Amino acid sequence: MRRVTSLQMVLLVLLVAFIVVPLLMPVIFSFSVYWQDILPEGFTLQWYERFLSKPATSRSLTVSLIVASSAVALNLVIAVPAGYAMARMRGRARRFLVAVARILPLVLPPVVVGTALLLAFSGPPLAISGTIWMVIIAHTLLGFPFMIRNTLASFDTLDVNTLSEAAQSLGANLWQRLRYVILPNVAPGVLAGALLVFAISIGEFEVTSMVAGFEAQTLPLQLFQQIRNDMRIASAISAFLVYVSLVCFLGMTWLSAYLRERRG
Amino acid sequence: MRGIGWAEWVLLAPFVLFVVGFELYPILVMVGRSFFDQSGAPTLAYYLQILENPVYRTAIRNSLLFATAGAAVGALGGTFVGYLAPRLPRRLHQFLLSLYALPLTLSGLVVAFAFIVLLGRNGVLNLIARELFDLPRNVYFDIYSWYGIVLVYAFFQIPLMTLTMAAVFENLDRSLIEAARNLGARPWQVWRHVIIPVLAPGFLAGLSIQFAGLLGAFGTVLALVGGAKNLLAIQIYYHTSESTYNLPQAAALSVVLIGLIASVLFLLNRLERWARQAGGG
Repeated sequence: MRRVTSLQMVLLVLLVAFIVVPLLMPVIFSFSVYWQDILPEGFTLQWYERFLSKPATSRSLTVSLIVASSAVALNLVIAVPAGYAMARMRGRARRFLVAVARILPLVLPPVVVGTALLLAFSGPPLAISGTIWMVIIAHTLLGFPFMIRNTLASFDTLDVNTLSEAAQSLGANLWQRLRYVILPNVAPGVLAGALLVFAISIGEFEVTSMVAGFEAQTLPLQLFQQIRNDMRIASAISAFLVYVSLVCFLGMTWLSAYLRERRG
Repeated sequence: MRGIGWAEWVLLAPFVLFVVGFELYPILVMVGRSFFDQSGAPTLAYYLQILENPVYRTAIRNSLLFATAGAAVGALGGTFVGYLAPRLPRRLHQFLLSLYALPLTLSGLVVAFAFIVLLGRNGVLNLIARELFDLPRNVYFDIYSWYGIVLVYAFFQIPLMTLTMAAVFENLDRSLIEAARNLGARPWQVWRHVIIPVLAPGFLAGLSIQFAGLLGAFGTVLALVGGAKNLLAIQIYYHTSESTYNLPQAAALSVVLIGLIASVLFLLNRLERWARQAGGG
């Protein structure tokens, strides 16, 4: 293996700083009393307090948690069985479905999804635009490519068919095969997918801002307003969103390390 | 070979229903609406508007330029980190890739906030530069300019490309390169016949994702400059909100955006095939 030159190392450090430094900004800002000069001054929790006590922002936290949990739950019902089915399929049908799950989100950017949902669900037969239901559906849509990818990957490494047949030959019925053979093996991968969907949902702004209306104000929508009105509350919300991303992300890293270890 | 049995259909049913009901149906409704005016009569007026109105034409041009610049920065940075990552000690390599996976889930607004604090008019880095080089107050890096916006988007684009390229470089078989050299291949021949054919498909796939994402991007731009920068996605957004409410026009612009993204993906896909064949692989 060839070594890394010192110039390359310097560039690499800069590129790491390019990610780490911006991530620290909201965190430092949110704990400082005053930050007008180069260095922040003082330590305080009052911006978090204001974020949690102000009705509009504290309500948006509740809305965001409800929406993200529902999007995860819906994805478990929709994407996990689909991932399982795709893992059992071969040939053209499988390639087609995988391509659909991969290409649709690329060709349909958030602003288009938002416009389409707005147009389709503002009137009969289903007038849910502007409600929390619309936001939940939008977040489920945005999450499922990731959920399917994760589920499919864990089913694929498992060799579902052989395992199912082995269990079947030992007299296990469908329910027993799922409960004792398949699910315990894919649970870590599915859980990692769930964390990813949760993190994406908590931070989603683009589609939400188009379909949420006044009723379903999520945390990022409040953040958007506070960046203009009050950088202090904005810093507390931003920092909170960084923490959620970090926690979900540490969870995913831990799960993938656990999976690697288990596979030897 | 196994086809689709009834069990697969049952398992796929929620997925298919959801995609058809909440993705394809709304898109079809949207495409339909772009061809009818407010009174319900068929019309091509919204598309003619896009061809004739300089605001929309500029928006399309800006979007293409912005996506190209952003994808270029992402591709360069991501290829560089992806190339270095496998050469680092294992733990550092893993830490780097983990760190670079973080921006993927981070809200665009948080990133906008972070860069305003860092590089806004009185941002920390601008203050430091002012102190160090004794700059006048009107000289600063402008995060609200096109350069600034591309820089902020690089926070997403470089890591995204890195994750693709790190995997590609790991698959690049060093023994293949050694073998080519031992057989007397010149450096350019090694690049032309060994390295590029291996790297190209991953690189172009990564580039496709960059382009598709950047052509539709608007959240972070909106948080930084509001509607001050004329992008196609920003135009669509403003046509769905109260001030310039015009849903059929938003629908027509969305159809154009889908068309642009699809064309870019198609071209890059062609290029990928060509690169594979040119390598003789």
